Amino acid sequence: MRKETEYLKKEKGNAKLRRAELWLAPLLILAPILVSAFLINDWFVRSFSTGISRYDGELLLAVIILAGNILFDIPFIKSLKTSSRK
Amino acid sequence: MKKLKTAKQKIINQQLEIKNKIGSIEIEVGWFRRVFHTFAASFLIYYLLPDESLINMLKIYFVVGIVFFIFILEYLRIKGSLNSSNFFGLRIYEEKRPASYVYFGVATLVLLLFFPQQIAIPCILCACFSDPIIGEIRHHYGKKEAYIIGFFVCIFFFLITWYTAEIWIILPVSLIGASAAVIGEAKKFWLIDDDFMIQMLPAIIILLLWLGFLFGGINILPAELILPI
Repeated sequence: MRKETEYLKKEKGNAKLRRAELWLAPLLILAPILVSAFLINDWFVRSFSTGISRYDGELLLAVIILAGNILFDIPFIKSLKTSSRK
Repeated sequence: MKKLKTAKQKIINQQLEIKNKIGSIEIEVGWFRRVFHTFAASFLIYYLLPDESLINMLKIYFVVGIVFFIFILEYLRIKGSLNSSNFFGLRIYEEKRPASYVYFGVATLVLLLFFPQQIAIPCILCACFSDPIIGEIRHHYGKKEAYIIGFFVCIFFFLITWYTAEIWIILPVSLIGASAAVIGEAKKFWLIDDDFMIQMLPAIIILLLWLGFLFGGINILPAELILPI
């Protein structure tokens, strides 16, 4: 019986698909970091430097996005490195 | 005899190498899907963009455009015009039905456009982070542990988003929202993906809760977390 979590096996090998994955990798890794940086910058300008706590939520959200992404980016990059070596 | 042994060893080594390669591809696909989830948190930048009529229209067109593009891709893939093997990380059961990223995109679109951000943000965060965390823990430790930890991660997202609300509001909302998110993730349907349910189920329940209280003259929604620049 096939497991539900199994992935589709590729007919023509994985080289082409891996290339697509490699092209997407910078976007998947950098976009959340940039969004976090943008939120932190906005919090710094509107909240920290003016002493208004109304924008503190942006900092919390930026930290969640940054930490959550780094947590999963590291094993993803490791798996990319391992597979490209093989 | 010696030659036979060497040949046998060579075959075993080759088999091991192939097995390792297949294993590494499976792991890589898994991480690729997880990172796709966490990447989606970037769409929360939507709330930071200026609140002006022209930019509001562009924001809506942009988000709808992305989902429309995904729909066209999926239509062509399911119809057979695009080969499923051209899509990295598809699961076997996604071959003949829309893939999970379509459900994820639709749910995120609905939340961004039609729900207040106080409800949309924790639900999107649950799909972006709780879902992959539950997936990883389920893979290593088992279902029960995964859903318990997932529940607390979801509670954390609701607490953070509603932190300015009063305690009698924030606690039940977080408990109800997190329970709904975990149920949405745990309950598997063939047609509706868990990436849709984990976002929409808590969102609809909290929306009804908010409207119910509003009908009674009490607004339980806290202040917005992100204000447009």
